[in-house]
Amino acid sequence: MTETTSNFITLVSNDSESIIVEKEVAERSMLIKNMMEDLGDAVLSVPVPIPNVNAQVLKKVIEWCTHHRADPATAADDDSDSRKKTTDIDEWDQKFMQVDQEMLFEIILASNYLDIKPLLDVGCKTVANMIKGKSPEEIRKTFNITNDFTPEEEEQIRRENEWAEDR
Amino acid sequence: MAAVSRAAMHMPPVPNREDLEATWKYLEAGVNKIMINLADGIDMNTYMGVYTAVHNFCTSQKAVNTNNGGQIGGAHRGAHLLGEDLYQNLITYLTQYLSGLVEKSKTHSDEALLTFYIKEWDRYTTSAKYVNHLFRYLNRHWVKREMDEGKKNIYDVYTLHLVQWRLTLFEQTNKKVMAAVLKMVEKQRHGETIEHGQIKSIVESFVSLGLDESDPTKSTLDVYRYSFERPFLEATKVFYQTESAQFTAENSIVEYMKKAEARLAEEAERVPMYLHPDIEKPLTKCCNTALIADHSAILRDEFQVLLDHDRYEDMERMYNLLARIPDGLEPLRSRFEAHVRKAGLAAVAKISTEGDKLDPKTYVDALLEIHTQYQGLVAKAFKDEPEFTRSLDNACKEFVNRNAVCKSGSNKSPELLAKHCDHLLKRSTNGTEESDLEATLTQIMTVFKYIEDKDVFQKFYSRMLARRLVHTSSSSDDAETSMISKLKEACGYEYTNKLQRMFQDMQISKDLNSGFKDFQAGLDSDIKPIDATYSILGTGFWPLSPPNTDFTPPAEVAKALQRFAQFYGQKHSGRKLTYLWQMCKGEIKANYCKNSKTPFTFQVSAYQMAILLLFNDNDKNDYEAIRATTQLAPDQLDPSLSILLKAKVLIMSGGDGSDKVGSGKMFALNYEFKSKKIRIQLNMAIKADQKQEAEETHKTIEEDRKLLMQSAIVRIMKARKTMKHNLLVSECINQIKSRFMPKISDIKKCIDILLEKEYLERLEDDELGYLA
Repeated sequence: MTETTSNFITLVSNDSESIIVEKEVAERSMLIKNMMEDLGDAVLSVPVPIPNVNAQVLKKVIEWCTHHRADPATAADDDSDSRKKTTDIDEWDQKFMQVDQEMLFEIILASNYLDIKPLLDVGCKTVANMIKGKSPEEIRKTFNITNDFTPEEEEQIRRENEWAEDR
Repeated sequence: MAAVSRAAMHMPPVPNREDLEATWKYLEAGVNKIMINLADGIDMNTYMGVYTAVHNFCTSQKAVNTNNGGQIGGAHRGAHLLGEDLYQNLITYLTQYLSGLVEKSKTHSDEALLTFYIKEWDRYTTSAKYVNHLFRYLNRHWVKREMDEGKKNIYDVYTLHLVQWRLTLFEQTNKKVMAAVLKMVEKQRHGETIEHGQIKSIVESFVSLGLDESDPTKSTLDVYRYSFERPFLEATKVFYQTESAQFTAENSIVEYMKKAEARLAEEAERVPMYLHPDIEKPLTKCCNTALIADHSAILRDEFQVLLDHDRYEDMERMYNLLARIPDGLEPLRSRFEAHVRKAGLAAVAKISTEGDKLDPKTYVDALLEIHTQYQGLVAKAFKDEPEFTRSLDNACKEFVNRNAVCKSGSNKSPELLAKHCDHLLKRSTNGTEESDLEATLTQIMTVFKYIEDKDVFQKFYSRMLARRLVHTSSSSDDAETSMISKLKEACGYEYTNKLQRMFQDMQISKDLNSGFKDFQAGLDSDIKPIDATYSILGTGFWPLSPPNTDFTPPAEVAKALQRFAQFYGQKHSGRKLTYLWQMCKGEIKANYCKNSKTPFTFQVSAYQMAILLLFNDNDKNDYEAIRATTQLAPDQLDPSLSILLKAKVLIMSGGDGSDKVGSGKMFALNYEFKSKKIRIQLNMAIKADQKQEAEETHKTIEEDRKLLMQSAIVRIMKARKTMKHNLLVSECINQIKSRFMPKISDIKKCIDILLEKEYLERLEDDELGYLA
């Protein structure tokens, strides 16, 4: 096995762009990691189709994976409090997430599909930070949501969620 | 999506994400490929296609807004419902697939069935890993949510595979599979070689199927225990019951023990070879029951035979076997104890015919021989197990204290032991080396440990020690102190206190004598003093009593004594010196003998010296004159004279002409005295004295015991103030039994004495009170 075949794999986006990635970087995706384990090295010469992600988003995801290539693997189902509660985001990740909303949601969907839990977390935290401290009307404005509630429905929901209001 | 559709050669078209039927059709084809034909490998596009189809189906939105334009909410509900459809379809698929395997399995039996089972199991579990990865999205979202909500019987996809295997295939084939396993094991037990890797695989498969229903993340051994362990143990039991019944009917017990040993070792090896470690304990227990416990009665009956024939190796074998079952050894111990006791009693009975002339050494050696023999047995065959050692101790205690020689009383054993010590420690009696002596003394202590009346030993020992010290006849001080420290170690400071004081007195006397020499040299006197040494023995520490006869020492000796008394009085005023004449000895030179150029030296007692010195003044003395001058009582005078007569130092004449020493006889010095030796020992113990001493010793023992009991009673009562009568008695026994076994009647007598002396008072209700 030569270095070139073993260290790089080719990913193909749904808009048919081939992107060559280091194996270690690609393995941040549990989907690709499991796939490589299951299919063995023999298949690695074959390009890997990524049918749900376009080239622009895939490149962005790979950028993140490259930066975080050496992070310790998170435990399989790490539901620890720190991951759940904190909305703190590391500086590099904050900068990374400074993209337009469309791209932000594409990244979230892609990381969910590719099974890259830490990236999914960062994405969701970013969205959470966007919501934090805003009124429902402000939130609607931020995400361009049309209010389809009747005033009665709205009143009921407010009452049900009174406990969560930030006072 | 173009890439996927291009590559999916044998796959149905890539489904629309909301179309369940199409999606499942696509997935089923993919899963089937993995299940049936994994060996050919699975291509990249199918792999990614199946994963994507699962993902897409689960994320499809039935809600109106299908475009992913910025709406992440609302998908949950859809994923929830649609995930379940996939899950249920997968179950249906697996059930069908496994039912097919069940049908196929029916064409196989025995080893072929095992091969089939293992092959299919391996294939199935490998495939399950793939499918689990492909359905990972379902695991991550729908399954996780269901489990978080506490739904029962929902498993991750891999576990689901195992559960379905158990429900369908395992349920219907496990009995047949197990029967095949047991057949193989039985073959192996009959000595055939088997492919035991197969059994190992079956065990692993059964273990994997154990799931904790209450917590799917944990596994249990329940399935394995019920379907494998239980039938395995049952078959083992039946096999060994049958085999051992047949074997014992046709072979000797010893042969059977060898067989059982081998079988047990075999089964122990079987566990690491191909069984689950969990079976080790129950399997061992099962084998122990079938091979040992069921036959323990005949094994134990054989034990007596083995004991009688000293079959150490076979006894060891029996010990090892019976040690494996609960309460297996107790009956052996009691048999062993009885046997040792019998052997000890027989050994003593054999030598007891010698009666009073019994040599202490013979007696002690006989006791030791039995002890050594059976201690060896305990070490070799019973691994020095403490309980067996205790049985040995009990037996030894019994035959040491109560045997044919001790018929007259339990005092005999300690007396003989003490006498044996005396022989050993006396100078030049047997010429034993120092190191041998030490070893022998250690052996003595072995017997001593078993002696119940340790106070009797102490009495005799201290008397004999006193004699050895005064007569300086110890073979070595080191041996003496070593023995004393051994006794101290065994019985404590109090027990040896007096013995040590005796030793100290001898040391002090040595210094005193050199002091006296200096004192004498300083005296301005022309009379040449007799050369004498003195031992000052503290009254109370030494087991010696003053002479039982009057005695006037000869003038020469009296003079020297006077000087010593003067010297001693200066050093320690107010102390009273009592002379133990019966212990004194001296040497006399006989210058008068015609037959020898060098004068003879007579070693004599003080009494003999007094008698002989009379002949310095007169060649002849009559009995009355000797008596009057020496003041000796006839029971001392007569034997002293007899020895001198017997040695022909004196010649007797006159009187009634008989040989008997007594009134009216005349004694003359024998100028013709002849002897091959220059030094002649005339100082011999007088028989009457020895006997009297033994009696005295016994008498003092009785008195000391009374004191010991009384002081124990007072000690207890002082601490408790009031106490029930019978409690006091038992507490008293407790305190004293390390010295001797007191009789209850004696303790009662002592209590009565103390009541009389008003140390104690009677209270109501059988209570006793202490009076300060």
